[in-house]
Amino acid sequence: MEYFLDINKEQEQLKTNLMTMNMGPQHPATHGVLRVEIKTDSEVVAQAIPHLGYLHRCMEKHCEHLDFRGVIPFCDRMDYLAAMNMEWGYCLTVEKLLGTEVPVRAQYIRTIVAEMQRIASHLMFFGTYAIDLGAFTPFLYAFQDREFILRIFEELSGARLLYNYIWLGGVWNDINDDQLQRISNWIEEMEESMKKYHALVGENKIFIERTANVGVIDKEMAFDYGATGPVLRGSGVDWDLRKTRPYGMYEKFDFNTVVGKGEKGRVGDCWDRYYVRVFEIFESLKILRQCLEGIEAGPVIGKVSKIVKPAPAEIFLRTECPRGELGYHLITDGSKKPYRLKVKSSCFTHVSMLPDIGPGQLIADFVASIGSIDIVLGEVDR
Amino acid sequence: MSTHHTPEHLHSHLEDTLTVGKWFQNIWDAIRTTYKGMMITFRYVWGVKPVTIEYPEVREVLPENSRSRLFNDVDNCISCMQCADACPVDCIYITAVRRDKEAPAIKTDDGTPLKLDLKQYTIDTALCCYCGLCTEACPTECLTHTTDFEYSQYTLSQMKYNYLAPDIRAWKHRIVK
Amino acid sequence: MHNEVASFLNSSVSGSQATAVIAELGDSTVFVDSSKILEVCKALRHSQWDFNVLQVITGCDYPDRIEVSYILASFTQNHELILKTKLPRTNPELESVVSIWKAANFQERECYDMFGVVFKNHPDLRRILCPDDWQGFPLRKDYVVQEKYLDMTVNPAHKINSGDFFFYKEIQQKMGDPKKVTFSWKGSGDDTETAEA
Repeated sequence: MEYFLDINKEQEQLKTNLMTMNMGPQHPATHGVLRVEIKTDSEVVAQAIPHLGYLHRCMEKHCEHLDFRGVIPFCDRMDYLAAMNMEWGYCLTVEKLLGTEVPVRAQYIRTIVAEMQRIASHLMFFGTYAIDLGAFTPFLYAFQDREFILRIFEELSGARLLYNYIWLGGVWNDINDDQLQRISNWIEEMEESMKKYHALVGENKIFIERTANVGVIDKEMAFDYGATGPVLRGSGVDWDLRKTRPYGMYEKFDFNTVVGKGEKGRVGDCWDRYYVRVFEIFESLKILRQCLEGIEAGPVIGKVSKIVKPAPAEIFLRTECPRGELGYHLITDGSKKPYRLKVKSSCFTHVSMLPDIGPGQLIADFVASIGSIDIVLGEVDR
Repeated sequence: MSTHHTPEHLHSHLEDTLTVGKWFQNIWDAIRTTYKGMMITFRYVWGVKPVTIEYPEVREVLPENSRSRLFNDVDNCISCMQCADACPVDCIYITAVRRDKEAPAIKTDDGTPLKLDLKQYTIDTALCCYCGLCTEACPTECLTHTTDFEYSQYTLSQMKYNYLAPDIRAWKHRIVK
Repeated sequence: MHNEVASFLNSSVSGSQATAVIAELGDSTVFVDSSKILEVCKALRHSQWDFNVLQVITGCDYPDRIEVSYILASFTQNHELILKTKLPRTNPELESVVSIWKAANFQERECYDMFGVVFKNHPDLRRILCPDDWQGFPLRKDYVVQEKYLDMTVNPAHKINSGDFFFYKEIQQKMGDPKKVTFSWKGSGDDTETAEA
C-alpha cells in the first residue's frame, strides 16, 4: 500500500474507492488456473493477492504411495510443458541414491531431449507472451516449430506431452540415425527462423514499449524471493546450474549463460526476461549440435534392479529446468516407496513475487509481468 | 528495494525529456520495426505449405510406438499381475484361478505354460494415464499399447474394457501391431 | 562444511544446539533447536557463509516428531545447506523467517497447510494449496480424508469401482477354496481397507 503514501493532496481528492477484481481462475493471461485478486485504483493495480490451489493434485501425497518407477508419470504432470526436464531431475535424484551408472549414450540422449524440451518450452513462452501483448502471429510460428520437437518425442517415447521417457538408469527407447539426422537439419532451420522471430517480436517498437521498464525485478528482490532460472538471469545474475553445479554431462559442452543486460530499459524488466529465454534457445541449439557430434553407440539403459529400494537417506538435488531450478527433496526409509518427496518448484517461488511486482502497475502491464515470469500452474500447485 | 512500487518511478522512462528529435526518432523506429516485421510475415503468404491436416478426412499416421489404447491378448496372458503392480493409478483389475493339475496343459505362443486361468481382465481406460509402465512389465508381451486413439464414448463405464469379452477379443485381428 | 557450520552456530547463537549429521549416502544435515531458528537463520544469512537464497521450507512427518527442513543456498559462494529442526507433533510452532527472506512467506504457508506447523509472526498465515475450510493436514502420515466436504460426500459409493471386487468375491465363493483365487485389487493388494470398502 506504499503507493498511496506517495500520492499528494490534490490527487488524494481525486482518489476513488478501490475496486476488487478477480483475474482468473479462467483468464487467458494467467496461463492456467491462477486467480489473482487485484484491488485497482482506476487502471492502476494497488494490491495483488495470488490465490493458488486450483490445480492442486496432491502429487506429493500420491508419491508416498507409489513405487519409485511409478512416480515418473506424476513428475511429467507437474510442468507439462517441460516434462522431460521434470523426469530427468527425479531420475538423477533416485540414481544418486542408488549409485546407478548411466550409460554414455543414454546421457547424450537425455541431454538432447532435455535441451529440445527447453526449446519447446521457450517457444511456448515466446508464442503465449506475444499473445498476452496482443500479437497473434508469433504464436503460430512458435507452435509450428514446437510441433517438430513434439513429433520427435512422440517417435521416441510414444506420447506427445507426458512422456515417461527418461527412466531410472537411462532412457526407454533408443534414438535412431534417421531421427538424429532430422534433428541436425532442424537445428539449422531453427537457428534461422529464431533470428527471424526475434526480429519480428523482440525488436519491434511496440513490443519494446510494452515490456521495457515494466515489471522490474532487481537483483536484491530476485535473491530475496529465491527466484531462479530465466527470471534470475533476467535480473542480471550470471547463475545457471548447468554451469555452476553441472549435472549430467553439461561440463563437456561449450555454451554461454544468457544474462539480461537492460538493453532496452532497466535490468530485470520484462524485456530482459524475454531476451534471456529467446537467446537461451540459441544456446540450447549449440548444446544440441555438440551432442549430435559426440553421441556414441552403446546401451541406453543401465542396470537397475526390478524392485527399486534405496537405502535410508535424504537428498536434495536441483536441476535447471526451462522455468527455473527444480529441486527434489527425497527422504527414503529403505522401503520401495518414497517416505517423503518434496518438489521445490521454481514457479511457486515466482508466483510469490506477484504481490510485490503488482502494486503501482497498470493492469495491462501486470498482464505483461505475469506472462514474463512464465508460470505453469501444474508446477505451482503440484 | 521497493522503489519501483510508486507509479512515478515505474514510468520513469516517460519522464526523460522528450525532444522533437526523440519524438521523430520514436515514430521512425515504430515504422521501421513494424515494416521489418511485416516483411517477415509477408514471406509466409506464398510458398508455405499448410501445417494443419483436415481431420477426419485426412488421418495422421502415428509413430510405431505411439502409446494409445491398451490391448491385452488374453490367450497369451499368464495372469502374473505384474502390470497391475506396475500401474501407478491402479486401473487394471485381474482375477485368476489356479488351474487344476488334471486339466490339459495349455501354453502361450512363446511356450510359457499357463498355471492360472484368467477369469477377469479389465482395464478402466478412463483412469489409465498411458504411461506405458504396464506394457514394459509384461513378460509375455501380450499387453500392448496400440496406435488406436479414436475411442471416445458417451459414458465413463463404456471406457472400461473387459478383454475377455468376445467382441473385444476380436480386436486382435484389427488393431494389434 | 556441515561441521564448520555447526560449530559456527554454536559459537554465535547461544542455545542453538547445532549438531551436524554427516550422512554417507545422500546429503548431510545440520540440526538446530527449534526455539532459536530465527537467530540461526539470521546468523547464517549475514555471515561468511552468506546464504542469500531460501529455497524450500518443508516438513516430514515421523511417528514421534515433525522435522522441518530449511534448504538454504548461497548463489554467491555456490553451496547449499539443509538446516533441520525437530518439533513435537502436537502444536508445532516455529518463529517465522519472513523478515530474513521474503521467499519464506509462501513456503511457510505451504508448510502450515500441509503439516500444521504454525509460524509465529507470519504476516499472512493462511492455507495456500488447500481451500480455507479444509480439515486436517494432508501430508501428515495419519491424515484421514474427511467424509463430508461442504455437504458433498467424499468418495460416494456409486463412484467406487466395486464391481470388480464383487466379481472376485463371487469367484472366490464359487471356487470353494479361496486360496486358489488371486486378485489384483489396488495393485499389490495390500491396501486391505480399500478392498473392504
